[in-house]
Amino acid sequence: MVKGSKEILQKAAKTLSDILVCPLSKQPLRYCEESNSLISDAIGVAFPIKNGVPCLVPRDGKILEEEDASKHDSDTNLSAVNEESLGRSA
Amino acid sequence: MRAVSLWRKQPLSLACRSRTFVSDSTSKIQIFDRQRKRAQRDRAAWSTPLHDPLLHSVSQNLLDRLQDCKKTFPTALCLGGSLQPITRSLSAPPANGGVEKLIVMDASYDMVQACRNAYRASPNNAVQTEFLVADEEFLPIKESSVDLVVSCLGLHWTNDLPGAMIQSRLALKPDGLFLAAILGGETLKELRIACTLAQMEREGGISPRISPLAQVRDAGNLLTRAGFTLPGVDVDEYIVKYESALELIEHLRAMGETNALSQMNNILKRDTALATAAIYDSMFSSEDGTVPATFQVIYMTGWREHPSQQKAKRRGSATISFNDIQKQFGSQS
Repeated sequence: MVKGSKEILQKAAKTLSDILVCPLSKQPLRYCEESNSLISDAIGVAFPIKNGVPCLVPRDGKILEEEDASKHDSDTNLSAVNEESLGRSA
Repeated sequence: MRAVSLWRKQPLSLACRSRTFVSDSTSKIQIFDRQRKRAQRDRAAWSTPLHDPLLHSVSQNLLDRLQDCKKTFPTALCLGGSLQPITRSLSAPPANGGVEKLIVMDASYDMVQACRNAYRASPNNAVQTEFLVADEEFLPIKESSVDLVVSCLGLHWTNDLPGAMIQSRLALKPDGLFLAAILGGETLKELRIACTLAQMEREGGISPRISPLAQVRDAGNLLTRAGFTLPGVDVDEYIVKYESALELIEHLRAMGETNALSQMNNILKRDTALATAAIYDSMFSSEDGTVPATFQVIYMTGWREHPSQQKAKRRGSATISFNDIQKQFGSQS
């Protein structure tokens, strides 16, 4: 029952992802089943899906480690997110 | 921009707050603390009564506009604000505007979750509803993908209102409709006066307790600036009666509409609070002992451009003179 509803939730998140784009770069998002998150490849940020609800507030995003090269991006909002999450992890 | 001059007089609070903005190198003015607003809305998710009369009537009034449209709106996006009344009336079977798919969005996770629980519990779920946590200022919706954007009492908390409206317009398909209700400048004028007087009396100075709100004349400009066609603005005033000013504050808290200015004074002295309530009562109370509070709601309607919409013709393109029209029809009257 729980597993079944979880699958439905994930399916809902997937159908929703046709409409969703990255809130900062407006580029398409990729669904990652392993981490259950939506990944914006353009800026290297993963947005979590909590309980079937995608959380796309810039503050909720996590910078992906292998994508450090994206830091030179001139998007100021992105750099705000960058510095914040770096400060949190430090 | 509206309250800048007021804040410049408080260099102290600017100095201790500026730490928060170190990472933010933009020159944009941060009027509201969006993070605080999110927390307030998280709290409101637990304390909002199921049928808040004010939210209910505002959302009904807003959605009534859909009945005036011949067009149907298969995909609808509901931005933050009073989500539950909107979701309830859009997903009920005699759905306004023929909505088939509804996306519900808010910056507060708890609010979305509460809305989702209410949706699950309701027996008639004819409309496919998806839930999403996102910020109106950073709208994560693909360009030209929804037919209708509804925002009920949420957009007055955005720092960049034109930006948020432009993003909504881009998310709309051509000939899509944007419907929004925001609180206008006359809102809580009684409280504004009472707060100012009490603070002057007890503290010898004032700090902004109530957020700057858009005026009616700004609303039309906002719609035009955001690039909507056929803009329409109208205003409604609701007067809500409370037993005392304290009940008013409780109601604001339950709606998640309490102060979230980024430069607000975090300390409210008990003395000042009680003085505010007393001044409110003595200045505005009516004969039956209740105190009124004004809520001015500005309703905004705009469409995304489409060739089928009526347009003014090019200047000088007329082929018939008005004099001839006068001759033709003037004799009949």
